[in-house]
Amino acid sequence: MGCYGNCCARSSLSSVRVETRPEVEGSGPGSPGRSLSVCPGGVKKWPRRPESRHCRKLRGSPGSMEAFMNFTNQTRGRDRLFRAIQYTCMLLSYLLASKADKEMVIMKLKQLESSMRSGRKLFRLGNIVHAMVAARRTTQLPDLVPRLCLTASNINRVLYFICDTVLWVKSVGLITDIDKQKWRNWATKCYYYSLLMNLTRDLYEISWRMEQVAQREKAKKENSSHCDEEDQDLICMGTGGLQPFLLLLYHALRKHPPLLLDTVKNLCDLSSPLDQLGIYKTNPGIIGLCGLLSSVVGIFTVVSPHMKLKH
Amino acid sequence: LLSFRAAQYACTLLGYTLQKNGASADFLARIKQLEAHMSLGRKLFRLGNSADALESAKRAIHLSDVVLRFCITVSNLNRAMYFACDNILWAGKSGLIPHMDQEKWSQRSFRYYLFALILNLSRDAYEIRLLMEREACGKRPKGSETRHALREDGSLQQLLLMLKVKLHLLVHVLRSNPPLLVDVVKNACDLFIPLDKLGLHKTNPGFVGLCGLTSSVLSILTIVHPWLKLKP
Repeated sequence: MGCYGNCCARSSLSSVRVETRPEVEGSGPGSPGRSLSVCPGGVKKWPRRPESRHCRKLRGSPGSMEAFMNFTNQTRGRDRLFRAIQYTCMLLSYLLASKADKEMVIMKLKQLESSMRSGRKLFRLGNIVHAMVAARRTTQLPDLVPRLCLTASNINRVLYFICDTVLWVKSVGLITDIDKQKWRNWATKCYYYSLLMNLTRDLYEISWRMEQVAQREKAKKENSSHCDEEDQDLICMGTGGLQPFLLLLYHALRKHPPLLLDTVKNLCDLSSPLDQLGIYKTNPGIIGLCGLLSSVVGIFTVVSPHMKLKH
Repeated sequence: LLSFRAAQYACTLLGYTLQKNGASADFLARIKQLEAHMSLGRKLFRLGNSADALESAKRAIHLSDVVLRFCITVSNLNRAMYFACDNILWAGKSGLIPHMDQEKWSQRSFRYYLFALILNLSRDAYEIRLLMEREACGKRPKGSETRHALREDGSLQQLLLMLKVKLHLLVHVLRSNPPLLVDVVKNACDLFIPLDKLGLHKTNPGFVGLCGLTSSVLSILTIVHPWLKLKP
């Protein structure tokens, strides 16, 4: 039954290009968090709150939910890997498209891509529950902006997975009278909004970390007379301009690699819906490259869990 | 993975019962397509399982009991071979390997699966026997009296009574060891699938679907309640 993958035109399978990561920001139970408390003077501090505040158990039946999460976690790592392979195939078939005698290879690559795609679709069926659990979890975040952004993002993901399930039902042939184009459009829009929300949260985090770094350096400059190389760079931020801003950004991100990884992942994922919605059309090569990059980052965060962005 | 296995076998069962009760051909075709879709999807996600099975085999070599060591290691090796054949089947079905004798590879994979299941059942039988012996030793003071009384009776009656005692012991052992019971039932149900596919003991697709569904449900139970998993 490999033919069903070949029969679909590439555009019709593009809904599957709209991938998302089940674990995005809805990190596992008991993830330690950091919080932002605003002192009376308006200066943001960064105290280490005790874990109990953040490790709120889910209401309802924690046992069965955890069992379900453990159950589906087994396929998550592989899903990432197959996604990476899928986008590699897309990239390679784009790069080889111009070569004359590589038609066989291109056909094989396209077949591999479509079988990865359709196989993965099946295993996304449980992700609605994942997204709902994540949404419930993010409503309990202490900070306002991340709470709003992440909850909105997760709700959009729930909607995206619902559309995705409907499209899967159609592609399997269970129900035939489904308007594929309409549902795919909705799915892409939901995914796009969820990525925008994630990016908003990332930008918020970057901005307050940059502020934190700036204030720390300012305090250091005031307290010590000896300035080393780094401080010299940051001192000129007082003068304004692009370069000090970039330096501040660089310092903020260097100290927090999970934030950098998450931002890169979200930006790369954005290329696919932008192309599908017609907002910023690119070629399949760029989409393949961006998809591959975001899958690699995703695999990396699965392999090294401390690199995952936590609340 | 297991919920899709359950769904796949449920589709097989459903398709068979609907066919017997005369459902529309179009609906049956859809169910078959769904089943095939699930089978291919599962094959994709089983691409790494060979390595897992080899790891389990490596771990099982360090077991203390000889019989257990042998059974579990060889069973895992067979499972690794089964997954390897399954991966090749996936490549063939996805069109990556154009001229592949799918039937031959399918038969091969089911043969390895059958060997693995037979070894699992042998391991279960060995465990049951150990437990029964342990129970019998505990009850020996009582048993010897009945045995003296039995020796006077005719040999057939004696045999029947002994069988009855053994059966009671078996039921008791299984009831007090739910993980073992679950494992035995699971392996026994799974056994019918390769037996049917290899043509050794042909039943109808509905029965195969029912067996597959039962074993999948039991596997899901062992994941949801980890204490039900049989530990070597």
